Amino acid sequence: MLLFKGPRDQFLSPLQAVCGIVEKRHTLPILSNVLVEKNGERLTLLATDIEIQITTHAPTMGDDHIAMTVGARKLQDILRSLPESAEVTLSLDDKRLQLKAGKSRFNLQTLPPDDFPRMAVSDGNPTQLRLTQNCMKRLLALVQYSMAQQDIRYYLNGLLLVVKGNEIRVVATDGHRLAYASEILPDTPAPIEVIIPRKTIIELSRQLNDTDEPLEISLAPTQARFNFGTIELVSKLIEGKFPDYERVIPQHHAKIIKLNRDSFVRSLQRAAILTNEKFRGVRIVLGEGSLKIISSNAEQEEAQEELEVEYSGDTLDVGFNVTYLLDVLNNVSNETIELHLADANSSALFVLPGNDTFKYVVMPMRI
Amino acid sequence: MEPSRRIAHLDMDAFYASVELLRYPELKGQAVVVGGRGSQAPVLQADGAHVFARLRDYVGRGVLTTSTYEARALGVFSGMGTMKAARLAPDAVILPVDFESYRHYSQRFKAAVAAIAPAIEDRGIDEIYIDLSTIQEDSLTLAKRIKAAVWEATGLTCSIGITPNKLLSKISSDLEKPDGITILDWQDIPARIWPLPAKKINGIGPKAAEKLAALGIGTIGELADTAPEVLQQHFGYNFAAWLHDAAHGIDTRPVATHSEPKSISRETTFDRDLHAKQDKSSLSEIFTSLCTHVSQDLKRQGYQGRTIGIKLRYDDFQTVTRDYGLPRPTDNPALIRKAAGECLKRVALEKRIRLLGVRIGNLSQAGVPELTDEHCQTELPF
Repeated sequence: MLLFKGPRDQFLSPLQAVCGIVEKRHTLPILSNVLVEKNGERLTLLATDIEIQITTHAPTMGDDHIAMTVGARKLQDILRSLPESAEVTLSLDDKRLQLKAGKSRFNLQTLPPDDFPRMAVSDGNPTQLRLTQNCMKRLLALVQYSMAQQDIRYYLNGLLLVVKGNEIRVVATDGHRLAYASEILPDTPAPIEVIIPRKTIIELSRQLNDTDEPLEISLAPTQARFNFGTIELVSKLIEGKFPDYERVIPQHHAKIIKLNRDSFVRSLQRAAILTNEKFRGVRIVLGEGSLKIISSNAEQEEAQEELEVEYSGDTLDVGFNVTYLLDVLNNVSNETIELHLADANSSALFVLPGNDTFKYVVMPMRI
Repeated sequence: MEPSRRIAHLDMDAFYASVELLRYPELKGQAVVVGGRGSQAPVLQADGAHVFARLRDYVGRGVLTTSTYEARALGVFSGMGTMKAARLAPDAVILPVDFESYRHYSQRFKAAVAAIAPAIEDRGIDEIYIDLSTIQEDSLTLAKRIKAAVWEATGLTCSIGITPNKLLSKISSDLEKPDGITILDWQDIPARIWPLPAKKINGIGPKAAEKLAALGIGTIGELADTAPEVLQQHFGYNFAAWLHDAAHGIDTRPVATHSEPKSISRETTFDRDLHAKQDKSSLSEIFTSLCTHVSQDLKRQGYQGRTIGIKLRYDDFQTVTRDYGLPRPTDNPALIRKAAGECLKRVALEKRIRLLGVRIGNLSQAGVPELTDEHCQTELPF
């Protein structure tokens, strides 16, 4: 029974689109498989790790219905190692998948499609959002590096997505720093707040492209669905209460300086070389007309960088983890950034001049 | 030859059972086993007498924690399945396990010994090693004085072995049990140690003993007569060398008066196998209580831990463990419960569960701040 016949990439591209989420090791063996379903001229590929499910389509020919599941990694590895120009034939014979290309032959075992777990569509009336792929991709890039990783506060291992009025907000924090970004929506959907798991966000941001092609998001209390291009990504949500992000975004930090992002990054990178590898702390010393970055390590080696800034006020000496500073500076693209400071025990706020759609708060380190 | 040391091993006699007999003196001289549940607790009558549960009425799948010497005479030993014990000694009295009391008496006997000889290595609830090298008194007088102090403090008897090292003392304390004193020196090894079966050496378990038996080595003496090269053909290099030394009574391990625990754990075998779905609420309750106990153990001993682990045994005796690392050490029961819950998500829950355990490792002393970035880095004030 013929499943697919055509150029290699016509099958490999959709396969790679769904297989990024397949876990290497899983308690359920079938989850390392991908579901391939042929319905007439439409080929559907589906992969899942129970938490996330990705579906996509590819064209094929014929009018029969065939379905099976096969090892995702092996199939990908075989296709990838074939020449790019190869014509590939996939067919199902006696519950085994035959793959032919030129003089190569592969015979793979399959598992029945009925055993493959699929996520049920959440009932109820979901909140529907419409925005462009590049808009969402940009929003995610602005905050996703601040998500916690395997934190015991499980609700931090994801991204808070808020729909409020005609605004979409995304927030991520690991308890030490917090990134916030917002965007105006073309319409005003029903308000909702959900926490989307880390793995979903990373996968989504990998798959979205830089075009203004549409992205549809539908948010139900326990499930999020993302439709873009030929891809549908469905994800479970993290239950729990995300911390009150508005509370920790400072409003009244009085020491405000503008910095050239590029020079600031380069100075921080140089100073970082002589920080203690474990703590990665740098001192930021703000004085009349100058901002110094000072670091030292366990061997008593020292680095000092100085940037000219427009500032006249009290001197401030405050420590930060240099990684947290570089993270934000490497993920925004503006030429100039604004840094708001108060005292050695208070957070620092990074904003983009003349723009309140992005905020990054980082707590100091005691050095 | 190792420098001359004098090490004692003190082992309480049938400890749990003896503590129970202190409470129920009317049971003295009877076959008594400990290992029941609360439902087997004696019932106090109006006349002040107790009515005790008997082994023949036992239904369940517990194992015996200990038995009195009278019960041992009937072939009933600790670790034996209670149902099996019931067939051997149906008239024996069964009492519930009461760890609180045992711990109480354990602390008392150790404190009493410490008042005489403070260099003590804690080997568990009912045994200790004592380094007597720096004490002038002769061994017999000292042993009698320690036994008297233990009796004074607890009303319980113990057996003591005094020899030049821990290995020999551990063997010796068992030679005159109960209520015995055994004092051996190097020259006594051929007469007193070599005739004993090889498995009397602490460290030769059933498997090694079986392997030795297959080589025609039954006693410690026969082991001592076997060339190390011969042993090396059948055991690993290090184990063979250790076997040879042990058989010659050589053991240089010091008495470890101070030891840091590696991990603290609690586990429980259920009365009946539980299923993750059907018995969700009782499982969850047991799970939480294990975490609470682990937290209490940590606090009592002044530790915090960073690695939370769970242990699950299914009805087919397959056992799985899972770990979860916390960003910083804790003794908080809610955090331990949450981390243990994360571990539980990573195990298959189709089969029925027989045993559940919670462990915390990667311990550090509470209140001693560990210098990590977590301590220097301040937290967002949510």
